[in-house]
Order: sequence, then structure tokens, then C-alpha cells
Amino acid sequence: MRHAAALAVTLLATTTLAATAQEWTYTGGDGQTVTLDAAPVRIIASQDAAAGLIPLGIRPVGIYADSAVADAKALEGLDLSGIEIVGQVWSEVDIEKAAALEPDLIIGEWWDRNEAWSGGQDLTALLTQLAPITGVAASDSIVGMIADYETLAESLGADLSDPAIAADKADFEAARDAFTAAVAAKPDLTALAVYAGDDALYVADPKGAAELLDLQSWGLNLISPDGVDATGNNYFETLSWENADKYPADLILVDNRSASTLETALAQPTWTLNPGAAAEQIADWPAYWVRNSAAFAGALEKLTAAVEAADPSVAP
Amino acid sequence: MTTLTASAPPRAQKAARLTLGLLLLAMMLAAIAALSLAVGARPIPLETVWRALTAYDATATEHRIIWDLRLPRTVIGLLVGAALGLAGAVLQGATRNPLADPSILGIHAGASLAVVLGVAFFGMTQLSSYVWLAFLGAGGAMLVVYSVASLGREGATPVKLALAGAALSAVMFSVINGILLTSQRTLDEIRFWQVGSLAGRSMDILFQVTPFLIVGAVLALAVARLLDGLSMGDDVARALGQRIGISRALSGLAAVILAGASTAAAGPIAFVGLTVPHVARSITGPGYRWILPYSMLLAPILLLGADVLGRVISPPGEVQVGIVTALIGAPFFIALVRRKKLAAL
Repeated sequence: MRHAAALAVTLLATTTLAATAQEWTYTGGDGQTVTLDAAPVRIIASQDAAAGLIPLGIRPVGIYADSAVADAKALEGLDLSGIEIVGQVWSEVDIEKAAALEPDLIIGEWWDRNEAWSGGQDLTALLTQLAPITGVAASDSIVGMIADYETLAESLGADLSDPAIAADKADFEAARDAFTAAVAAKPDLTALAVYAGDDALYVADPKGAAELLDLQSWGLNLISPDGVDATGNNYFETLSWENADKYPADLILVDNRSASTLETALAQPTWTLNPGAAAEQIADWPAYWVRNSAAFAGALEKLTAAVEAADPSVAP
Repeated sequence: MTTLTASAPPRAQKAARLTLGLLLLAMMLAAIAALSLAVGARPIPLETVWRALTAYDATATEHRIIWDLRLPRTVIGLLVGAALGLAGAVLQGATRNPLADPSILGIHAGASLAVVLGVAFFGMTQLSSYVWLAFLGAGGAMLVVYSVASLGREGATPVKLALAGAALSAVMFSVINGILLTSQRTLDEIRFWQVGSLAGRSMDILFQVTPFLIVGAVLALAVARLLDGLSMGDDVARALGQRIGISRALSGLAAVILAGASTAAAGPIAFVGLTVPHVARSITGPGYRWILPYSMLLAPILLLGADVLGRVISPPGEVQVGIVTALIGAPFFIALVRRKKLAAL
């Protein structure tokens, strides 16, 4: 009897202690604070959040991707073994599969201009029935977002002193320095970031894309469109193909989330109205998907090569 | 109304008047086509447009826009418009249904379903592959609708055709919606096609569908006399010595070829095929030998006019022609219905 009572007291004490000691709090990109009794272990992450967290040693139990995993640029080169894929289409999740993973937390990314988490509001409503959602904001700098992911990963128990992380970072810094030097060597070079559709050419507003803002801050002369569309696609200005040369540039960066985007662009007769496109000075724009040092280093190396090869005087 | 009993002199007068009308329409169409070359999302001075057409210079940006974008677009608009007008008129005559258009016999639904299936399950993403899918789907749907309507002793009557078309369209649209609801990727791929647009179509697509459009148009104009018989009802048509099964099959074939090819080229464009034959009929009276050529000229006027409008109302972008025809077609149709009772079919 006495034993039992003592045991009960001890048990009670340990659980209370554990609860107060390990309570986990995080303020997400939407400004909301999520508090859990303990640091979450079973995490379902959006493809972008997974791309930010996996290289830092945090492995989610499930990932929802925006496209077939094989085509998801964000997940390229990451070890996904043992991770359940619960969605392979934007804004779609196999909710039964996700529920079976018994997640403690959903991690997405907050998109300010859309006022939504990765995958949109409908998906968020669905996922938050399983667990609270949080994550970093798609901010004005990939470098800043990687730092945000480090903070988040550390709070989830990651060991950031892992030499692999430092090596990735060194690679990124070298790539960044090479890019800065290449751009500095061509002060007259102008660049334009676009997405191409059958119906229209979409010019990206650099202020809406963190990687473009980073490129700008390292000296790339990126052209901003006059305005973005008021509704819907408010990260771009839509141009009729008749106006494909509205913003002439030396180097055209084409959204590389899908390989068919460049094919679509090349098939349009007025694509080459833009002097950069006519001179075939075209490079990949790693649009909205770079979330870790290794990926950014890879993308930067390709951009540096394109800048070095480009003639900076094809556009007026 | 009086075609059967009209005496020769007024009839000749009427023919002269209607021929003159056709000439006027042809001139209007030429004017609209010129407008379609001259007006676009990018302002190009008329003088430059003229020089681009008469003395093409491959290094001049404006010249390339006229030749590479506006010319194909205008030609496609002309052909697709003519095809939609003819298809609508033929279908209204053959089914004796004033609301018939390529959507009533399941042609649009069939074409859309085939494209959606191709995108969703076979990963087809190029506009040029949609052409064949849309064509197959349109033909397949029409065949099924016709076979279903032919069941029973009295064969494919207009009412049964319309009912079978509506029912099968409903079935196909639920399948389409089912696929689109569960596959965001497919929706993204075909959203642009599904609205209906003349933009971004290359000359290749034009070459793919033009033979069909020509065959369809010739066939449609050839069945005009048969439609006049059918429009008086099966019994009268039979009494006049027509084999109504063959008449209807030929008209249906013409409509499928025209609607299928136009849908393949520009996506399912609503209201043109429905509205234009009524306008034509209000000018010409009930004879299909006049309704068909009038529809063939009026429809591209409407379609190209709508496309030109869509190019200039939201610079520097554009509004797709399918949206514009729906926006101006619907009120136009209501006005038409209210102005006077639709000429009985």
C-alpha cells in the first residue's frame, strides 16, 4: 500500500517535471506561437520544409510534395529513405496515410502574399486536424531562411556542430563569393527572371522570391516589373507574348521547377524578341525551392557559369 | 415560312438581297480580320502593320509579332469561328432544337474528357497532342450519343438525340470533374486549354486541323438542302423523298468534324455556335441554304471581335477569348430571345 502510494507520487512528480522541463514553443512565420508538451518527434513536413530540415539532421516521418517526388526540385539529392510520402500534387495530401503517421507537428512555410501555408488554405485546414502547423516564413533571403531553419532544427534537437553542416556551409560561401565576383566583373549585365506559359510570359517580381533578393544583394542587376497582377498570381506580372521584350535583359533566368517551362518558352515565336533569349543567354532560376546550403551552392555555381559566359551588352 | 409557296419574282428579289447581305458580311469579316492584325496587347502603328504585311523585315520586332503571333491567331480565329458557326447551325437544323450547339450532342464534353484523360493518365502536356485527343473524343462521344439515341423502333429522333447528348454530357462532365478535383496537376495543365483561347497556337496546330475544317465545311454546306427537309419534321422530310437516317448521319458527321476540329484548335468555346445561327436566321428566314453561309461569316466576326477585345482590355496581359465570348454571348443571347420569339425550327 505504502509502496503503491509512493510509486504513484513518484510517477506523478516525474511526469509533471518532464512536462515543464520539455515544453516546446515556437513562433512560426505567421506570427502564431505553437506550444507542445514536449519537443515533437513525429513531424510531417512540406517538401520545402523537409529540404530545409533534413540536411540539418531533422528527419520528418512524412513529406507532402508539390509534384511527383522525382520532379520536386526541393527534394533533389536528399536521402528520403524511410520517409513516407503523403502527397505528390500541390495542395493534396493522402489524409489517411498522414493520420496513420500520428504526427505531433506539421511544418510548412508561411507565404505572406498568399496569406497561406505551403499547399494553400484548404490543405492547411485539413492538416491542422491532425496536428498544429508551424514553420518559417518564405522571407526575403534564402540565407535568412536557412538561419531560420537552423533555429527551428536546434529547437527540435538537431546537433548543428555536425561537420557535414559546416562543410555544406563552406561550399555555399565559396559559391556565393564566386558569384559575387562574377557579377562584379560585369557591372552592365542585366537579368530578368521569368516563367513561361502557352498563354503568356510571367515576369517575376524579385521582391517576392527570396533567392532573387539574395542574388540582387550580391550585386546582380535584376529587373523588376512595373507592377504585379492585382489578383491571383501576385508574384508575377503577366505579359502577352506580344510584349515579350517589354523588359530587355542580357541574361534570362527561367523558372526551373519544371523542365517543360523552358520548352514552352523556346516554342514561342516571340521568345527571342528579348535580346538575352535571342543570344541564348539563358540560365536556370531556382524558383522558390532552395532551402539549404548544398542546394544553394549548386544553383549558384550554375548561375556563376552563366554570368561568366554572358555578353553583358546584348540588351540596350 | 413561305419558301414552299413563294412565287418566283419575290424569291429572286430575296436571293439578291441575301447575296448582297453576304457580301456585306464578307466585307465586315475582312475588316475584323484586319483589326485583328492591327490591334493587340502591344500597340503597333497601322503604318508598321501595313509595312509588315507588304515588306516583311525579319529583323523588325513589330513585323515578327504581326507574322508570328497575330497572323496565325487571326487565321485560326477565322477558321475556328466559321467552323463553330456552321456546326451550331447544322446541329440546330438536324436536331430541330433551338438550343443545340456543339455542347448538346456531347461533342465538347467528349473532347474535354479525352484531353483530361490524356493529361491525367498519359502525361500529355503539349497543345499539339491535345488536337488529336480532342478530335478522338468528339467523334467518340458523337458516335456513342448517336448509337444510344438510335435504340428503339423510331431511330434517332431529334428529341432522343438531345436527351442522349445531355445525359452523356452530364456523365462525361462528372468524370472530368472527378479527375480535376482529385488531380491538381491535371487542372493546372488544362485550365488554359479548357477556357478556350486563340493565343499561343502555332501554325503547326493550324496545319493539323485545317484539312478537317475544310472537309467539314464542304460537307456542311452540301447538306443544307437536307437540313431544310429535316427542319420540317421527319414525316414531311420522308414525304419529300428524303432518307432521314442518312440525312441526319451526314449532318451529324459534318458537325462532329467541324466542332471536333475547332475544339481541338482552340479549346471548347461556348456560345458562338449557339448564338450565331439565331442571328443568321433572324436575317435570312428559315432556309438553311442561307443560314449556313450567314453563320459561317457571322461566327468568325463574333469570335475575332471578342478576341480583339480580350487583347486590349487588360494590358500588358490578355483575357482569353472563351471568357469574352461567354461574357458578351450570354447577354446577347438573352437580348435576342427577348427581342422576338426565336424563329421556330
